[in-house]
Amino acid sequence: MRISFQEELDQLEASLREEGELVLRSLRAAVEAVCTQDVELADEVIAFDDDVDEQYFKVAQGVELLLARQTPVASDLRLVLALLHDNLHLERMGDLCVTIAKLTKLTKGLPPDDALLEGFKEMGERAEQMIHVAISSLEERDQEAAESLLELDELIDRANRRVVKLLLDLGGDAEMREWGLRMILVSRCLERIGDHAVDVGEQTAYLVSGEFREFTDASH
Amino acid sequence: MTMPQIHVEPAQRDEYVPGEPVFEIRDLSVAYGDNVAIRDVGIDVYENSVTAFIGPSGCGKSTFIRCFNRMNDLIPNATVAGDVRYHGTDLYASGVDPVEVRRRIGMVFQKPNPFPKSIYDNIAFGPRVLGLKGDLDDRVERALQRAALWDEAKDRLKDSALGLSGGQQQRLCIARCLAVEPDVILMDEPASALDPISTTRIEDLMHELKRDYTIVIVTHNMQQAARVADMTAFFSVEVSPDGKRTGILVEYDRTAKIFTTPADKRTEDYVTGRFG
Repeated sequence: MRISFQEELDQLEASLREEGELVLRSLRAAVEAVCTQDVELADEVIAFDDDVDEQYFKVAQGVELLLARQTPVASDLRLVLALLHDNLHLERMGDLCVTIAKLTKLTKGLPPDDALLEGFKEMGERAEQMIHVAISSLEERDQEAAESLLELDELIDRANRRVVKLLLDLGGDAEMREWGLRMILVSRCLERIGDHAVDVGEQTAYLVSGEFREFTDASH
Repeated sequence: MTMPQIHVEPAQRDEYVPGEPVFEIRDLSVAYGDNVAIRDVGIDVYENSVTAFIGPSGCGKSTFIRCFNRMNDLIPNATVAGDVRYHGTDLYASGVDPVEVRRRIGMVFQKPNPFPKSIYDNIAFGPRVLGLKGDLDDRVERALQRAALWDEAKDRLKDSALGLSGGQQQRLCIARCLAVEPDVILMDEPASALDPISTTRIEDLMHELKRDYTIVIVTHNMQQAARVADMTAFFSVEVSPDGKRTGILVEYDRTAKIFTTPADKRTEDYVTGRFG
């Protein structure tokens, strides 16, 4: 048994979970900021991304060192490769939260639509749930739970379509239209976070089964 | 316990595609007196490929490779049961000349073992004894070139082979093996006594040689198997209730499969370093 190797692997996985926690905090704050038009909170989300990035580099360096020194094979190799991919997906989720925060700042003072903000709350909660499932299915090596992310993604996609429809019905007021255009991007960001969570799930399925396949053949 | 597969599933994507079988081995067991060293091993070895045997100490991989050219005949009270077919011929049938077997199926050992003679005479020895026709100087040069030793040795052919470095001596042993025009080269831990640079040269050489020869290698170094082999067989040890240890074949498949998604938990534990 290669004790130090196993410890390094465990440590790397723990670092990725920490990164997931950071992304969850960022997501909660980004959704809260956009729904309450809280510009200060939006600034915090933008600044907080440095923490996410730092964790990203930590995992990336850990992967590099582990590959160089331990030449992992079989399930160890799949785990390291999955961590490498998951790391990038989590970092991207963090970036999408930053985009939401920037859009929040851009729309300061514009008139919001309450029904739409309710829609964002729902999408934010669904995205949060998906990140939880993505991280815990990796931790538990639970392929079934990982595959359930596809159904959860369908829900967030539906919410996205509802939001877009509401936006199209906002009417012709110039300020309302500008707000609506920016908010379409917010909706898109939340929907993309769901997609990244599905990608993390695909990595878990690969880790468990040894076979990589996308959960859906069409891009979701 | 289910037996490991003998035949290999059809290739997918860019996987290694096995050629014709050179060896077909079935139900092979070897015992030294009462001790069964390996039991019921069956695999095919394919032409123009490198096949690696890996496994912990005492798993019988060296015993197994020694059946490929009847080297176990030389060990008193070794008994071999089962079928070893080489291009369809039973190697252990009466009437098969072990000397001819070992000419066609050469062997290189862990420790380089040149004769205490000149470099030239080391290579020329086999062809002379066998009375092979053709120009001897040509034969020596060709063998040294194929073993990637010519450039280093051409100006000192009359010097003692014992003056060569360990890595050079091992390539000399490979050249000596090639000089008698074999079909198969067996290598029992050919690089385990060499430094990393010499090891790389031997590995490169295997890659070159498999175009014309079939190579079978026993190695303790799993990364070496991963690097050089097309097919890999993993052997393990079974311990009976009375403490007797017997080597068994656990899994035999494409090397890529063995090192990415092995089918057997014991293989996984071994290649990831969790056992042995």
